[in-house]
Amino acid sequence: MGHSPADWGFASPYENVGGEVALVGAGEADHSKASGRSPREIAAQAIERALGDAGLRPRDVDGLMYTPMADHQFTAADFHQSFGTPHDLWVSTQGGGMVWAGSAPYEAALALRARKARCIVNVFAVAWATQRSDMVGGPGEVHAQELYKQNLEVPFGWFPQPVYFASIARRHMHAYGTTSAQLGAIAVACRRHANLTPAAVLHQKPLSLDDYLASPMLVDPFRKEDCCLISDGGAAYVMTTAERARDLRHPVIEVAGVGMGTSHTGVFWSQQGRGDARAFVSTPQVFSAPTAFAMADLTPADVDVLACYDPFTIVSLMQIEDMGFCPKGEAGRFVEGTRLHFDGGGLPYNTHGGMLSHAYVLGIAHVIELVRQLRGQAAAQVRDAEIAVYGGYTGPQASTLILRRQ
Amino acid sequence: MKLRDDFPLPDLEWPPTRPFWQAAAEGRLAIPRCEMCGRYVWYPQATCYACQGTRLTWTPVSGRGRLFTWVSVQRAFLPQFAGEVPFVPALVALAEDPAVRLVTRLVDYDLAALTIDMPVEVVFRPLRFPGVAREVMAPLFKPTRD
Repeated sequence: MGHSPADWGFASPYENVGGEVALVGAGEADHSKASGRSPREIAAQAIERALGDAGLRPRDVDGLMYTPMADHQFTAADFHQSFGTPHDLWVSTQGGGMVWAGSAPYEAALALRARKARCIVNVFAVAWATQRSDMVGGPGEVHAQELYKQNLEVPFGWFPQPVYFASIARRHMHAYGTTSAQLGAIAVACRRHANLTPAAVLHQKPLSLDDYLASPMLVDPFRKEDCCLISDGGAAYVMTTAERARDLRHPVIEVAGVGMGTSHTGVFWSQQGRGDARAFVSTPQVFSAPTAFAMADLTPADVDVLACYDPFTIVSLMQIEDMGFCPKGEAGRFVEGTRLHFDGGGLPYNTHGGMLSHAYVLGIAHVIELVRQLRGQAAAQVRDAEIAVYGGYTGPQASTLILRRQ
Repeated sequence: MKLRDDFPLPDLEWPPTRPFWQAAAEGRLAIPRCEMCGRYVWYPQATCYACQGTRLTWTPVSGRGRLFTWVSVQRAFLPQFAGEVPFVPALVALAEDPAVRLVTRLVDYDLAALTIDMPVEVVFRPLRFPGVAREVMAPLFKPTRD
């Protein structure tokens, strides 16, 4: 790639866990607009379906991973209340969605190795469509609560996420000649995949590039179609050792590699990279992806299907180049036409529709989709997919999860 | 979620940014500078991000910089900004050290003429929001000539 990411972030020093863990069950709760359901109910439904998919029962589960966000936890007590189980659970809050949907298998590998657990569920659920009217700036609420942002950003109207990422997109356009039509190509590919995927929230709504270009600006240079959905939903996946996975019902989908990268400037997008303007238009995938590909002994050219956490089109674009699928700055040209389509013969991308068009469950449904692709069960199925990659993102961090069908 | 009654105005008493808003009230732009290595340290924090020096002094700066990036908000995300649209939140890289990127808002601009890295300079204008009694003087930026 020729670029040394200098000092704006770092890669976590992960041990090699390649081939140790397998994803043996995958389940999604119902995805919808405002549903009136609680995140807890949604999470329980996702776990029930993931266990059903794996052919396991709640009492087979002895490990639970979730994100420690106030309203989105699904604790051991919640598990027992939902499933009537009494036994001890190993619990980790290094799970859930976003970046952790990609890195949870690493934490799970260490727990399996240490025999702290044998069968671990990772779950994430969200009900922001239901809760939206009570939130300040919708999903921006967590940022409105941050005091530096409250005192140095919000007063100027630099809030919430669509403003942050439209600012990044403008600078990316200037630096590399990226165009609106190129961002639109990502939105169109995701929508086409959602149109093929019955569970997608925007399953019924087509989107052409002309539709995209004709739609009004929301926060210029972003249109509504550059921004993710807000929906209720959730998903869960079940992990065990690759060895034990051979005794279960599905082809073994192993974790071949995993990586984690972190930006020093944390959630302050305005300051990312400080004097390094290139870092402002980058993601911590530049730190994360090399770790994962080295662990898997694979390169981006080996990847059959990619899914990235995609709150905005520009975040897809940056991760594609930061993971090394093309040189930095060239992702705009790379994504043109049908290259990201499941049947485009290029790099099938977010083949369920992603957060733009499938559901806003913060990345965990991306991992479910990749498991289905590798089993040959996806709605927009990529032919003979063997290697799949998830790019997780939160802003401060990125994760890379490489899955391989044995 | 409970916010201060005067949200989205800044909290003038919050210690890390109090000197910033105090200077703005007097029509000055000030940024903390590390006495050990001379770097400007933004956002304000207790230690220098580069040398870990702990003596940081709020220092006046020229108020000149370059337009690092901007957006044009067509639909308000907070009800308090509904009367402001369209408006242009921006990041400005300071002339003294482009590693300092101020979050701000542009004024006196021609939207079609904005370009990345164009020169801008500070002007002080009050921030006012509907339903909020007080106002706060804030450093905004306008395009200028080289």
